[in-house]
Amino acid sequence: MSPAWTSLMSVANVVRCRRFIGRIAADSLKSYRNYTTRLKPRTTVVASPLTSSLNVAKHSIITQDVTRCNIVNLRQFSTDGSISNVLTEEKEDIDPFSLVQDDLNHLCSNIKQELRTDVGCLFDISSYHFDGMGKFFRPMVVLLMAKACNIHVAYNVLDDSGSKGSIPLSSSQKVIAMLAEMIHTASLIHDDVIDKAEMRRGKPTVQKLWGQTRAVLTGNYILAVASIALARIRNEEVVTVLTQILEDLIEGEFMQLGSKEQENERFSHYLKKTYKKTASLVANTCKAVAIISQCSENVIEIAFEYGKHIGIAFQLIDDLLDFISNEIVLGKPASADLKLGLATAPVLFAAHQYSEINPMIMRRFSQPGDIQRTLELVAKSDGVSSTLFLAKEHCKEAVKNISQLAASRERQALINISHRVIDRLK
Amino acid sequence: MLRLLSSYGNMFSSRATSLSSAYRLASEFGTFGGNFLPRSPAAGSYLLSTVNPYPRRSVFSLWGGSKATEWSRAVSEAEKIVGYSTSFLSLRCLLSDELSNVAMQMRKLVGTGHPLMKTARRLFYDDPHVLQTRGLLVLLISKAAGPTPNNSESTDGMTSGIYQSQRTLAEIAEMLHTACLIHKGLVNIKTEPLNGDALKDMEFGNKMAILSGDFLLANVSSGLATLNNTHVVEIISSALGDLMKAEFTRLRDDECNSIQPRDGATVEDWELQTFYSSGSLMAKSCCAALILADHPKRLQDAAFEFGKQIGYAHRLHQEIQQLVTDNDNGNDLTAASLPAILYTQEHHCINRQCELLAQEPISSKQVLNILKSDKEVLEKAKKMCSDYGQSAFSALDLFPKSEAKNALKKIVKAVTTF
Repeated sequence: MSPAWTSLMSVANVVRCRRFIGRIAADSLKSYRNYTTRLKPRTTVVASPLTSSLNVAKHSIITQDVTRCNIVNLRQFSTDGSISNVLTEEKEDIDPFSLVQDDLNHLCSNIKQELRTDVGCLFDISSYHFDGMGKFFRPMVVLLMAKACNIHVAYNVLDDSGSKGSIPLSSSQKVIAMLAEMIHTASLIHDDVIDKAEMRRGKPTVQKLWGQTRAVLTGNYILAVASIALARIRNEEVVTVLTQILEDLIEGEFMQLGSKEQENERFSHYLKKTYKKTASLVANTCKAVAIISQCSENVIEIAFEYGKHIGIAFQLIDDLLDFISNEIVLGKPASADLKLGLATAPVLFAAHQYSEINPMIMRRFSQPGDIQRTLELVAKSDGVSSTLFLAKEHCKEAVKNISQLAASRERQALINISHRVIDRLK
Repeated sequence: MLRLLSSYGNMFSSRATSLSSAYRLASEFGTFGGNFLPRSPAAGSYLLSTVNPYPRRSVFSLWGGSKATEWSRAVSEAEKIVGYSTSFLSLRCLLSDELSNVAMQMRKLVGTGHPLMKTARRLFYDDPHVLQTRGLLVLLISKAAGPTPNNSESTDGMTSGIYQSQRTLAEIAEMLHTACLIHKGLVNIKTEPLNGDALKDMEFGNKMAILSGDFLLANVSSGLATLNNTHVVEIISSALGDLMKAEFTRLRDDECNSIQPRDGATVEDWELQTFYSSGSLMAKSCCAALILADHPKRLQDAAFEFGKQIGYAHRLHQEIQQLVTDNDNGNDLTAASLPAILYTQEHHCINRQCELLAQEPISSKQVLNILKSDKEVLEKAKKMCSDYGQSAFSALDLFPKSEAKNALKKIVKAVTTF
């Protein structure tokens, strides 16, 4: 292994000793990114979504040499004829959050308005997590996608690139953003009861403060209110798309209950579960706003694909951070996945190199010392870096999809989000 | 699937007949083409509606009491009118891949006393006192309202006088009720002093309960989406909201147990509680059934009113039954029941010490002991029950004369006679 590689691994070890805070993690990730862009890129580009990125990931596992992986600089996209050149110019200028800040600021108060009820402490409990402390990642993506789609439709209809001016968001699209956050929060509340979690976003969970029964019932109440708001949009297609999310969420939970015996199946099972639990929400809400903006089928598909890849990348980074970050930064305890017996991407990658992890996966890290040993082995292996690589591949795929929309600040913001997904600390 | 059903049977009963009844049950389903399970309720109800229109009542007698009470007679006749047995509506959705996964894991819960086992047992045994008739009422009222007024001559798309979408709605209502029942049966870990294995069991039971309930709710949502009617989605979602609100009212404490608050409760409190916990689902699903067939608003409102009043009547009927009979039908008389509230009001317990106003929930036995001595309360409660029945009757006036309407009237009568 090259010296830079060994130094990266030793840095990762140090981080895991919890002596450094997230700043070190960020540095190590950033240095990794700079390191890889200096490499000579290959010419083949990952063509189609999930399966081919899985194949590339598998390829990297088999060759066990991350340095020869297919890392294409973003700049290369701009030379491809089908994608506009707007990409590289304003890359660093647009802050995605600021473009939709007004709408996001009102998001929480709008949600609380919907939840308002006189019945006992139901309102207090249900609005507990809508206090503005969340990352608002999902509503942000949804709102930006809505604007980007609206602009795309406007360009195609009016066929003039002149008025980039304010193409408004329809109120239905704002409701979809609200629903994204509400469904996400409701599922978080239920997950916290199932996982017996005590902290979330830096404060005690609902189930710790009010008990399991009330937590679950409150989650259901939030879902009920969300469904009412969804119905009021009066669009049956959107209702179908969003109910798909609920089905996928629970299917993902059930998938998590069982574990696959075959190692080959494990990774695809993990990716499918990741889609169901995380990406489905982002993908389907993006699809919903595209439907509302009356885009063509093609654009709706693009919105869905973008959401899907961003969602999977987001979850992969989440799983990665669970390994290398610490409690203060994350707002919730780290190594939570291992403690729950879940084998996430870094572990699965490491299991290819160190087969002693496999029986530990099968018994869900239940024996004493399992978790510690797994952490050590993942540190020694290229599990973390492979996960990072896979996340980047998905981001690239997302960018490739979204670049087909008409140029706009919102589209650029969506592209920048893919960088943020990789660079984030919590 | 046979093996699965027999495992259910073995889990919930040690009676030797359980296995044979499980097989009988399986063969009942076996008549529906042998393969299982249609994930979408629509497909499932289509199967049910086209095959085996008059199921044998003997299956019920194996699983529960076969007393020819007025109630079971009314239900039995009604089921003939709508075309099939409705008690299995919630059962069918339980037999899916995900929930069979849960069922296998639930073996670990046998003997732990987790409420999930009790809920599951209630779902399998056709207890004549358990109102599994949300679905039945929806079907009856759909039939009573008749075909859509836009095209009242044609009966296209109707089986036994009920549209497919209305049958789907009936199943959705039952699934929603089952999901809420399962979710309410969670154990609050911090209040129960548990440790070691007992704690693990309860946590595991909670996990299974949450997952099963969520699965059913997800099915409810996708079922609603197939109906292609956002007004129905809205109204059924608000019913779900009401069911949740029911656990946070004045008549519930922090652990969702039934109590009277320190300053006493009123009849309005009880009515609101009953509406949230059972009336709302009945009223809104009856109303939604008529929305699906495009009936005029006044008929929808009448259906809503009917559902609401019969919700009150049935709940009060259950509470009064606890006072007059000695059976334990699983519905405990609590301090928040209407007879208890009437007693509290009558004896002006706000000024004096009254056990019914204690903040901690008191046992059903104690409540019974206090109330049994008071004849006035019983008479008052019976009068109120028949008043609710009268309101239900008058709500039905707008509906044309039909077999289904008579069946509904018989059901109302069954819940208002003692």
